[in-house]
Parts: sequence; C-alpha cells; structure tokens
Amino acid sequence: MAEKIGVYFDVQNIGGGLDVEALAARTREKWGDFVPIVKVCSVLADAVDEINADISSQQLDGVLLCGVSPRAEIGVYRVPAQVEYVNLREQCVLSYKNPDGSQPDFSGGAPEPLAIMAADYVNMGVVKLQKSQPPDSATVSGVRRVLVIGGGISGLTAALEAAATGYEVVLVEKSEQLGGAAVNIPVSSPLVPNWTEKQSVNLNMKISAVVGNPDITVYLKSQMETLGGQPGEFKATIAAPQGPVSIDVGAVVLATGWKPLDNKYLAPMGLECFANVVTAAEFGKRLLAGNVSARRIAFVLDTTIAEDAARDAAEAAAQQAQDGKMAEEEKDAGKFVKEDLESIRHLAYSNAVNSVGMLRLADSVCEQTDDATQAFILYKNMTVPGILERFYKKMQDRLGVMMTKADVTAIREAGNHLVVECKNTLLGMDFDLEVDLVVLPTGMVPTTAKDAVVRFDYRQGPDFPDLQLFDGFTDSNYICFPYETRRTGVYAAGCVRQPMTMDACEEDACGAVLKAAQCIEAASRGVAVHPRSGDASYPVFNFVRCTQCKRCTEECPFGALDDDEKGTPKPNPARCRRCGTCFGACPERVISFADYNIDQIGSMIREVVVPKDFRREGPRVLVLACENDAYPALDMAGMRRRTWNPYVRIIPVRCLGSVNAIWVSDAMSKGFDGVMLLGCKYGDDYQCHFVKGSEICSRRKENIAETLNRLGVQPERVEQLEVGIDEYDKVPDLIDGFVSRIMDMGPNPFKGM
Amino acid sequence: MAQYTLQPDINFVRELQDAGGDNLKRCYQCATCAVACPLSPANAPYPRKEMVWASWGLKDKLMKDVDIWLCHNCGNCSDLCPRGARPADAMAAARNMVYKDLTEPSIIGKWMSGIAGLPYLFLIPAALWLVVWSLRAAAKGSYFPRAADGRIVFGEIFYGDYTIDPIFIITFFGACFILYRGVRKLWEMFKPEGNMLVIGQKKSWIRHLAGVLMDEIVTHRKFDDCEDGPTTGKAAGSRKLGHMLLVYSFVILAFVTAVVALGHWGGKIVPAIEVHTPMSLTFPVKILANIGALLMLCGLAALTARRLTQDRLNHVSNFQDWYLLGIIWLVACTGILSQCFRLADALKPAFVAYYFHLVFVWMLFAYLPWSKLGHFVYRTAALVYVRMYGRS
Repeated sequence: MAEKIGVYFDVQNIGGGLDVEALAARTREKWGDFVPIVKVCSVLADAVDEINADISSQQLDGVLLCGVSPRAEIGVYRVPAQVEYVNLREQCVLSYKNPDGSQPDFSGGAPEPLAIMAADYVNMGVVKLQKSQPPDSATVSGVRRVLVIGGGISGLTAALEAAATGYEVVLVEKSEQLGGAAVNIPVSSPLVPNWTEKQSVNLNMKISAVVGNPDITVYLKSQMETLGGQPGEFKATIAAPQGPVSIDVGAVVLATGWKPLDNKYLAPMGLECFANVVTAAEFGKRLLAGNVSARRIAFVLDTTIAEDAARDAAEAAAQQAQDGKMAEEEKDAGKFVKEDLESIRHLAYSNAVNSVGMLRLADSVCEQTDDATQAFILYKNMTVPGILERFYKKMQDRLGVMMTKADVTAIREAGNHLVVECKNTLLGMDFDLEVDLVVLPTGMVPTTAKDAVVRFDYRQGPDFPDLQLFDGFTDSNYICFPYETRRTGVYAAGCVRQPMTMDACEEDACGAVLKAAQCIEAASRGVAVHPRSGDASYPVFNFVRCTQCKRCTEECPFGALDDDEKGTPKPNPARCRRCGTCFGACPERVISFADYNIDQIGSMIREVVVPKDFRREGPRVLVLACENDAYPALDMAGMRRRTWNPYVRIIPVRCLGSVNAIWVSDAMSKGFDGVMLLGCKYGDDYQCHFVKGSEICSRRKENIAETLNRLGVQPERVEQLEVGIDEYDKVPDLIDGFVSRIMDMGPNPFKGM
Repeated sequence: MAQYTLQPDINFVRELQDAGGDNLKRCYQCATCAVACPLSPANAPYPRKEMVWASWGLKDKLMKDVDIWLCHNCGNCSDLCPRGARPADAMAAARNMVYKDLTEPSIIGKWMSGIAGLPYLFLIPAALWLVVWSLRAAAKGSYFPRAADGRIVFGEIFYGDYTIDPIFIITFFGACFILYRGVRKLWEMFKPEGNMLVIGQKKSWIRHLAGVLMDEIVTHRKFDDCEDGPTTGKAAGSRKLGHMLLVYSFVILAFVTAVVALGHWGGKIVPAIEVHTPMSLTFPVKILANIGALLMLCGLAALTARRLTQDRLNHVSNFQDWYLLGIIWLVACTGILSQCFRLADALKPAFVAYYFHLVFVWMLFAYLPWSKLGHFVYRTAALVYVRMYGRS
C-alpha cells in the first residue's frame, strides 16, 4: 500500500488548454496527507533528480506521473519507489473531441468534459498506487543445467550452444545413436552463406563434439519419464537403459524432431503399389547407397491426389459416424490417452522442406550421373524459404533439372516404366511423362503429434495443451515469438515446432537455447519470462477463502497451478506468466498480485465521478483494455489525432483473461452505463499474448450477461470487442459505436442508487 | 485419356546452350519477357513459353514454333529479365538450331554451328577457285596475265562464260532449291496438328508475300515496333538504319549483277545491250555498284558497332551472328580492294583479292540456307504464314 504519493504533472506533454495548476490544486485538496507532494513541472524529464530528492526527503513510496502514456517514455523514470502513469496525453487530450462529435477549440481553455476526464484519470491513478505494493520476487534456485530432448541436428546444436554459453547439458536421445534424421542426409541444402551450394553436414564432427564435451551428459536409448517442478528447478526423470535417472534441470529444449507420415496417405499416388514409387526420404537413402539406376525421375510435389483421397476418406468416415455405425469408444476417465494428431495436412505443412529437398536430390542425382539423368520437378507450390531462393536459382541451372507447375492427375504403371499425367502446366499443354522412378514428398509429422514426449507431471496433464490449430506442432504461435511453448521453461526447436530445413534447425536451436538461458536467469531472480519479462509480481492465494473450485487450475493457459487431492491450488511462480487469468476466474477473489488485484481495479472504477443526469452530463462508459494490443492501439490512435467520445474511461488490464466479473458489477453499481471489454483477436488467428485470454473472457461474458439479466440490466451494456494492435484507425469507431448504442439504450437503471 | 507424351531431350538443351542460349536454364517463368516484348501478341505470347520448352529440351515444339521467327531480336526481354536468362539470345539460339537442322546436307549445318567447321567451309570454295585459276593459268601460260591491251581484266583468269557464271548459276539455283525445300518443310512444321479453321476472306500467299515485302521489309516497320517497348534505360543502337542500309545495298548489288549478267549473255543475242567488263568508272551501272558497296560498308559498320557496344551481361552475340557479319565484311572489303588494285594497276594483289572475293561470295550464297542469312527467307516465310493464319 503506497501511503505517501508524489504527484507530478508534465506540462509540456499535456496541453489541451487544461488548467494544470487547478488540477494540481484539486488533487492536493482531495487527497490531503496521502499526497504530500503535488508538483507542476514544465518539463518532467528534467525533474528526475528532483523526484529522487523528494522520495528521500519525504519518504515517498509512490510516484504518479501525469502526462504521457506509460508506453511512451519507458526507462526515463527509474526511481526507488513505485511508479504509475496517468495517460493525459494520448488517451485524454490528443484523443479528445466534444461530446457532439465536433473538434474542440482549446484556445479558451479546456472544455469542461476534458477537465472532468483529466481529473478522473488523476484520481484513478492515485487510487491505483494506493492499492499497489512493491512486489517481492518468488525466487527459485535456478539450476544452471539445460535438458535437451532429442539428439538430432537441432538437439546436438542446442547442446553445444548451451554448453558454450556456460550451462551444463543433459541430452536425452531415444535411439541408440545420435544424429536423428540427419544421419540420412550427409549433404544438405546450404547451411551458411552464400546459400547457393549443397553442403556437407559434418554430422560426425558435431556428434564427437557433443560426446567429447565434459559439460554434456548423453543418455542414449532413453526417454522422458516425467518432468515436474518448475523452471529453474525442474525435476526430470529419464527412463534410461540402466533404470530411471532423476536430474534437476533449469530449463528444457525440446528438439525431438519428426517422423515420416504413414505411407498409407501416399498410397493413392502409387506408394507401395508400384515398386518404383518412393518417398524422398527413401530416395535419399538409395542415392546415398548408390542404388539409383533410373535415368528419368519425376519428383512430384503436387500431392492433390493424396489430399483428395484423404478428404474423401474423412467424409466417408464422418458419414459413417453420423449413421451411428461407429461404436462409441469408452474412455477410461482417469487415464491419459494421447490423441493421434497425424494427418494428411502434415504433407502440405512440409511443402517448403520438400521443395528444397527435392531440388537438392534432383541436382545430386544429375551430378552423380554426369548430367545423364532427367529430373522432372512437378510442383503445385515451389516454396523455398527466405534466402534459400539462392539455392533454388543455383539448382535450376543444372541441365537435367526440369521444372514446371503442374496438376499431377494420375500416376500409373505402363510396361516397365511409370506414366505421370500432368495438367495445367507451364508448358502450355497437358502431357504424359514417361519415367523410371517417381519420388514423392515426405510428410513430416512432429513427434509431439504422436506422443506426449515430455510427459509433464502437471495438473493439466502430461502433454502440451492442444489448441486444435497446429496439428501437433509444439509451437504455441505467439505471433512473433518462436520457441515458446505453453509450458514455461520448455522451448521447442527444429522440426518439432515447424518443418524446416537444416540451416533453420541450427538457427532454431540457438534461439531456443537463448530462451532457455533467459528462463533460468529469470527464475533465479524470481521474475517472469516472456511476455511480461522481468515482472517480479506473482499470484498470491488467500487460501482461507478458497473453495477448491479448481477454476484457476483448469483455466491457467500455462498449467502453472498444480493442486492437492482436495483441489487446493499449489502455485508454481516460475511457471507463471503473470497474465492474471487465475484471478479473473476466481469467484471468491482469493488471488491477487502485489501490484495488480481485484480491489485495485474495482477502486479505480469506483473513483470515477458518474453524474446523475445522463442527458445533460453524458453517460459514463468503462473500457477495460488489454494492455498488449488494445492499449497500444489506443495510444497510436491518440498520437494520430483520432478522437473518441469523452465519456469513456479507460483502464488497462494485463489480459482480458484477468477481467473478473466483479469489476463489471462494480461499474454497474457505480452507475456506469456500459462496459466495453477491448481485447485482441481470438480463434484461428489469435493474437493473445497469453494464448487464451480473450477467448476465456468471451466465455465468462456469457455468465456476466446472465447475471445482469437477472438484475434487470440489459446484457448488451457489456460488450467484448476485438482489435488488432495495428488497428488504431478502427478503434475510435469501435468506441464511438459502443457509446452510441449505450445512448440509444438510455441510462443504467442503477444510476444514482 | 492418353495425352501427348513428352520427349525431353537433354542433348538438345546442350546444343541450344552452345548455340547462344547458355543462360536459358535460369528462366523461372515469371513472364516478364513476354510482357516486355513489343511484338508479342496477347494470345500465347512469347518468349516465355519458348524458354520453358527450351529448358525441357522439347526440340519438336521449339523447331515447329513460328513465334521464334516473329521475334525481331530487339533484346528488351533480355534487358528486363530478372534472372539474366537472356531470352532474346535463347530465341536466336533456337533459330540457329533451325538453320542447322532444317535442310540437307546436314553436315554443312553442323559446320556452320561453330568455329570448328569454319576451315571446311572456307577450303571448299578456296580449292574450287584455285582449280579454276590453275586451269586458266595453264591455258594462258601465266597465273597473272594481262589483257591484250595491257589492262588488268579478271576475266582473263576467271573467265565468265565457262567458269564464274556456270558455277554461280549452279550455286544460286542450288541454294534456291534447298531454300525452297526448307521453306516447304518449315511451313509444314508451322501448321498445327489437326484441322485449322480460318475465318474470313482468304488471300493467296502471293498477295500476303507482297504485303510482307511492301509493309515490313521495304519500310523496316517491325524494327520500329520492336524498339518501342518498355524503356530499359539502355541505348538502342542504330539497328534499323544498319540493317536497312545492308538490305538496300544487297538489292542494289543484286540489281547490278542482274544487269551485267543480262548485258553479257543478252549481248550475245542482241549486241546493242552488250556490257563489257570491267566497266568504266563513269558508266551508270558501275556508279550504282560502287554506291551499293559504300552503303554496304556503312551498314556493316553500324551493325558491328552495335554488337560491340552491347551490354555484355544481357546480350551475347553467337557464332552465327559473327559469321554473317564477318563474311559480309570480307565480301565487301575484297570486292572493293579488287577494284582498287585493278585501277592502281597492281597486278598480283588485284588477282589475289579477286580470288578471295570469289571465295567469300561463294561462301555467302552457297551456305545461305544454313547460315543466319537464311532468316531473310525463313522469317519472310513465317511472316507470310502468320498473315495467312491471323497470328500477328
């Protein structure tokens, strides 16, 4: 609880004709002893020394800076007290327009609604600080050891990188030798600049470097038995040939790679029907063994035949299920059963890797036979990722490599050769191609689609939670953040995350190791990792009031909470990403963060002055804005002079997932006429920093609507709207649209009660 | 349904690369070339499709393609190609392949396709004219005889009635016959499989030929259209002027030759029109001949300068290009030198120059069906064909 707060006004960043001195005087008057210092500074950034002096002379424990958005001057005000910002520039003055929608004239001083809004925001800021405490960090030991699961190219690279960064490494490999899929690819697509030549992988050098490194312990023929605990102090149990081995690790790099797609999916293209139809992986092996005598080879990247067959089969199966012929499988409720996520879609996902791979194989076979081989590449999409475009160009020069976009409509046997039927080609005609061998792409199915690989000892189960978006790939798809999984401290690298070429696997491994290192360091300091990196707060439970309803443990997007037999939650602060979804879920409101809690936001809501006369003094609308996407979008809108109705009051929240229904009740009983929940998009293209926040919020909103209905308040007074961080041009219209709907509805029936 | 079965031929790709299309494999089918080409029609435009046929070694498709002849080689496509695949040079290479393979005896085509065949091509006429020279020398008692009045008369050695004229008449009509067969063959190849329906009034091919000659060859109109593409920021060079000068010089010299031949052989029947060679310098036919020679030098200079100053990255002249320019240079220079030495009364140099002149002139005409000069027949045939069947 901040009890002595200094309030500073940044005049140069306020403007709008606001009478800052009057605002300061009112603040002083209202808060009295709580705010021993209220200062009006012409340039606040020049007053940092003054603030520091005030803190030490007055023993201030909170500083409220009224001026710019908290996002604008990050790092300027590092002072030994809690700092809070009042966003008077972007979301107050710059975005102000008159209630009738006309542009304001500030020459005669601030219009009244603007002055009221500024005063509200300052008071809300003071309350926010009052209800906030400096967080103490929940530090854990931070074991400086990285567990790498998988000994393929990504795993080996990760192990070497982690060791070189100064961490001990435990490498777990399922098979009896290191190398993984790379064993069959001694020469790969380019690994280093100039990105034009095929390159020797030098796998053996990498393996001996790993084996010879004293900091790396390798467990062959081993798998994970369980992974429990939390980042910085995970307890890994490895099922090794000599029996289970228990090891403490700080973080995990998951590099378990892929398995080839079942051949049955490619049977419609002739695989296993015709002797001379093989997958790229098989062809690579034959080429390596010198067993390729075919001189006319079709590399077929268009897999439409297989995709159509799989779709028809799925439809037939669905039809059958609908007809009720399928017996419902009884599931053993207590036992975890891994759903097999392998599907034909993995073939399409692997197209880029297959494009590059087939170019390499086609070039290699031509090279081996002194250009006596004709290698036809028939593609639907020739996808070469990034700079490998250069490799494509180089491979194209090879005399025997002939490429065309084509719809491959049939592959059949005719005498001692095969015929590939092609339509819609670049050659301007449909044609048959007589070949001796057909090479089909390899579908790369991530190991995590088939198996729970890591086997977490977590309340939410041993597997990664499935979003039903990625067909088993571990990527949690934070839009801009690779490696992250939905299990804090476990970072995915290589083809388990996304089908990728070998150069990308190496780069990926480096990235994942950096994340693992960050995680260990963050855990040892008790602060959060991405996306709230460095946040020292963590959820604190008031177990006295907990009813063991388990909502928090079930809804946590990261599985941070375990529980005991009775259902009492057991927090693991180092697994927590500090989104607040748990306290949004809690009906008893027993969860709080030191600097972010139910009472704090509720008090801020109650601090807004809500006039009784709806028609004359306007409505009041509360906007709870996600601070990751919606809040920056609002800032940007303000910076670009987009304006919105002056009767809204915006409060940033960590995530819409942290919105507790009580806040809506608080607002309604205070007399607010509407509550707008402004968050990021959810669904297939979700943008939530915490994966599920806005989706969870939308589900909770239904309950809120029910409650409101019971109370006689129209549920339409609460709306959730989606906004992308780049949609600053749309967000003012969203707000104005909502306000006008509220105006049509009339005042909140509870107003003034 | 059984479809057309593709017959890719890697050796054909290799030959095309050797014939000037060395970068053709680089093409990634973006079709910038087909858009850049000012002549290419909207319907099945070139040279994009020719590039993929070339890289797949589809000899059949490429040899039968009338579009390679519609290209007038402005080089816009090569300038704008993002991959440096040089489509213009690939098209030229495809034409070279037609010169090489279209007509018999194919050994000449083979010799014409690279520098290695050049000695054979040279030695044949060199030996021929040497035999003529030695036979006449034996008869005259000297390798360098003077006429009775002391003048230098080339007819003393290279006697028209029995040596030059019969040999050139055979050569000329032989070449014409081979070209005729070549054009027939080409024409058959142009025709698509199956039946073609031509809508509208048909004209005879003669009238279309007249149209091509008047509309395009006399005016060189296509050269202007051809340059009129997207700006490539590069100097265009004086292609039209050089080519026009050269064409007109050939027309003039052909006319002069015809007049002299008519005068010589006709004079035997009607003495009034008899022409005696060497003609006096002031004789109108001689004046015209010398004007033709000068025009030829100017045209050659312009075209050679253009090739030498072209951007080497996007335009590479192939063997056929240089062979044709070279042989015309040699014909022109030895012809002019013969006349100069004769007038300067330099006996031996005059005969030697004249000997070489005969060798090179024979090379120019005898090998015409297999050389780039064949384009004047094959391209004309293609232009007539497309006029008849509505592809412009």
